[in-house]
Amino acid sequence: MMKLKTAIAAGVLAALGATGASAQDKICIGYQLPLTGDTAQYGQGFRNAAEIQLEKFNASGKLPVPVEIIYEDSRSDAKEGVTIARKFVDNPCIVGVLGDFTSTVSMAAAQVYSRAGMPQLSQTASHPDYTKISEWQFRNITTQNQEGPYNADWMTELGIKKVAVIAEQTDWGQSVVAGFTKQFEADSGEVVFSEYFNRGLKDFRSVITKIQRSEPDAVYTGYFYEDGANFLRQMKQLGVEIPVFSTSAAYNPALINLGGDAVNGMKLTVTFLPTSDAENVKEFVSEYESRYGEAPGQFPAQAFDAVGIMLDAIVASYPDVTREKVRDALAATKDYPGVTGVTTFDENREPAKELTKAEVIDGAFVGIE
Amino acid sequence: MIDPYYLQQLVIGLSLGMTYALMAIGFTLIFGVLNVVNFAHGEVYTIGAFASLVLITAFAPPFFLVVLFALLVGALAGFSLERIAFKPFRRFTDEASLKSRAMREATLMSSLAVSIIVRELIELVFGSQQQQVPFEYLINDPIHVGPVVITTGDVIIFVVSVAMLVGLQFLLTRTHVGLSIRAVSNNPLGARYVGINVDRTIIMTFVIGGMMGAAAGILVGLYYGVIFPAMGFVPGIKAFVAMVMGGLSSIPGAVICAIILGLSESIAVTFISSGWADIVAYSFLILTLIFFPQGLFGAKRERV
Amino acid sequence: MSDPVSRPAMPQAGRSLMSRVLPLVGALLVFALIPALLAHFGKGYFYQIANLALIFVLLAASLHVVTGVAGLLHLGHAAFYGVGAYTAGLLASHFDTTFVLTIPAAAVVTAAIAFLVALPTMRLVSIYFAVATLAIGQMIYLVLLNWVSFTNGPNGVLLFGGLSVFGIDLSSPTATYFVVALVVVASLVVIHRISHSYYGNALRSLREDDQCADAMGVRTVAMKMQAFVISAAFAGVAGALWAHTTGYIAPPDFDFAESILILSMIVVGGLGSLPGAIIGALLLILLPEFLRPLGDVRNIMVGCVLFFSILLLPRGLFGEVSALALVRRQLGDAWTTDAKGRGVGWR
Repeated sequence: MMKLKTAIAAGVLAALGATGASAQDKICIGYQLPLTGDTAQYGQGFRNAAEIQLEKFNASGKLPVPVEIIYEDSRSDAKEGVTIARKFVDNPCIVGVLGDFTSTVSMAAAQVYSRAGMPQLSQTASHPDYTKISEWQFRNITTQNQEGPYNADWMTELGIKKVAVIAEQTDWGQSVVAGFTKQFEADSGEVVFSEYFNRGLKDFRSVITKIQRSEPDAVYTGYFYEDGANFLRQMKQLGVEIPVFSTSAAYNPALINLGGDAVNGMKLTVTFLPTSDAENVKEFVSEYESRYGEAPGQFPAQAFDAVGIMLDAIVASYPDVTREKVRDALAATKDYPGVTGVTTFDENREPAKELTKAEVIDGAFVGIE
Repeated sequence: MIDPYYLQQLVIGLSLGMTYALMAIGFTLIFGVLNVVNFAHGEVYTIGAFASLVLITAFAPPFFLVVLFALLVGALAGFSLERIAFKPFRRFTDEASLKSRAMREATLMSSLAVSIIVRELIELVFGSQQQQVPFEYLINDPIHVGPVVITTGDVIIFVVSVAMLVGLQFLLTRTHVGLSIRAVSNNPLGARYVGINVDRTIIMTFVIGGMMGAAAGILVGLYYGVIFPAMGFVPGIKAFVAMVMGGLSSIPGAVICAIILGLSESIAVTFISSGWADIVAYSFLILTLIFFPQGLFGAKRERV
Repeated sequence: MSDPVSRPAMPQAGRSLMSRVLPLVGALLVFALIPALLAHFGKGYFYQIANLALIFVLLAASLHVVTGVAGLLHLGHAAFYGVGAYTAGLLASHFDTTFVLTIPAAAVVTAAIAFLVALPTMRLVSIYFAVATLAIGQMIYLVLLNWVSFTNGPNGVLLFGGLSVFGIDLSSPTATYFVVALVVVASLVVIHRISHSYYGNALRSLREDDQCADAMGVRTVAMKMQAFVISAAFAGVAGALWAHTTGYIAPPDFDFAESILILSMIVVGGLGSLPGAIIGALLLILLPEFLRPLGDVRNIMVGCVLFFSILLLPRGLFGEVSALALVRRQLGDAWTTDAKGRGVGWR
């Protein structure tokens, strides 16, 4: 036991020696994300997108010093997330942090960042209380307070009166149901069914049969693309033909690869469409495809913009880049022209995004209206 | 007349139970012999699914070849698993070590370590996302039977499970290999004394168990169209529960209990939210253990 | 073979001084050397790792009581860790309960829940017991996740404000470290006295042969239940520490994988060995951190270390026999000898 502790102390010393040498001639951003574990595919996508954005930025010469992103793997585990947060706070080179992927880890890490005074911008944390933790927390994802009512109004316009709502049992799923239900009932619609499923559920057939029994005009769903593909395939298998609406989180080209024809006809809101005509979107999509051999989904696009917003904030606070100034610059972000639409942070550090309606038609996401 | 809604739920529960049963058969076989918890069985299932998926994408062979290939891969996986995670711990053959709990829990840990390594490796190579399965291989085309819908996969899985079960019962009760497996299961030391090659018997068991696990992996993978590195985890837990409910060593018992689990989950969804459905399955387990401490179909056996 | 009673007595000479070395060194290390090192470097990162390691040392030590000493394979320990964390979290966030009260409250509530679930299940043996604890753990997890109106479900519980005791702010890293270390060390002392005593021996007799122990007059079911409840209470304390040091708890922190992690710690360290549990916890918390530079393959390395440690040392890094000898030599206050100087056992 003694020996082990000595060994640990020695390890601690060695690790310090390694990190102590950070030079001031570069600026660093910390990025905590799951690179291993069950959610690694999302973290890998973030890293892919972030690399593109960073290389583009460093090549553009907007700053005389290079910016570096330090990636740390959190495995979507709160234990590791908090430890990484401490590590980032200790590193004087780091002026801002991106991530984490899940709200659980982002929230736990946010406790550290809020106390230490480190700006944190999450591309995906959707917990309603996330930005309420302190003035240091930002997010670059549409909240369900915006997306839910938008979808509710859309469905009401289409003359849908009775809706079944189903979402994954996570903080995000909770906000999907809450955000939608409130507005839809205010629009004098009726939510006839409302349930949560555990993420990664394989067999949705019992739930689908139950939804069918409640005879809704449409189903509103809060899931990510993998669960979405399974859900839709099993709906088709059971021959249930109820229109399905979903959120921007379901948007991913892989949804069509996994779901096939079953996905056709699903309507959803998106903030990012790779088929868009906008110049920056085209550029991002072609770069991403040429590097990684697949089209980017919603989440890499979120990460691409989050990195861009953070870099712009650093530029705005240059030459005297401190964490406080980066935070202030982040808070002042206005009309950032990202691939997921124009982003402006409101006084609660929440983004207001432009939403687009889309539908899957013949195996492709198509913007409608 | 029964409401078609409940009939449909029953059918869904049955088919869900069959997918658990498929996994539980191999799991129970290995457990019954060695009396150790094999945490890596879920990974054999995953390996079977991934290997077959690679074959499908590369050569697009006919369906039965895919299953044959899965059986082969499973046999290999079972064999390697036994050599790597279990064999080294059989170097202690004295009676104290055989009975020692620490020894048994050492293999629990070594199989867990192997399962971590395998899962991480698969994640590294394929990524942790759900793999795309060519649609023509999916076995979930709907078949309408009166008011309810079943799928081709239900039929295939049912036939395969029954074949496995009957084959295994035949093997265990009518063949020499089966006889030695049961002998080793009953008393490894005694089996050695009467001249049974214990080492070879245990390998045989792992090979057969691995084949069943891998076949389950690819069948269930193609049934749902869901193949990803952590896919073996949930069925692994369910198979474990079904095995214990069924009384550890009884393979038909495990199958019946797997079906009970599936049914209870799908019926539970009707009355409570889907998020809570698993709690019914676990309550069933606890109740079973309270009232039938040796499992529902457990033969009288010495306390383990 | 691990029966301490049959061992020859330790020589009396020098015991008064030499036998004090380990506790002294341990106390110095935990309360002086490590904090001094941490304070010297002033790195929050190392404080965080130290706190996390201490919390998991306590978790491993608590599982050691039920799985190591009493020999009951427990696959749902993380759920009790979660119950403790939620008790502390809900009390602190709804009623502003201070840390001094939430720790005992967490222990009591967790013990009470453990007692309730133990009532029907404690007669089970071996693998039946293991799968029952697995089911109980999963059920508690599902309750934490799905009982939204009470536990706040997947939204988790936020605890604002750092640690404070009687109005004294203890949220600085060093103060937090000392609080965690104090609670963990105090709990470890209790666990040490439980597992190295006549009581501990009785628990070990359940593990070796419970029917025999029953025949000798040990109340097996009651003893198992006590071990289970005690172990859960300490897991609850660890949960409260996690809730207070992190400030945010959510159900995924307490899932099945966490139970397996804690179980791995005690198996790798050596079943039945308290020092082993501590070493195992330190190893499995520190190793993934120090392997960070390896990037995406670090978890494969963790798996390999796990595999080879169990392959080469199937009885654990610090096996039970050597652990008992060490404990008796160094901490054997309660080890008594008869008139002829032969060791007769724990007082």
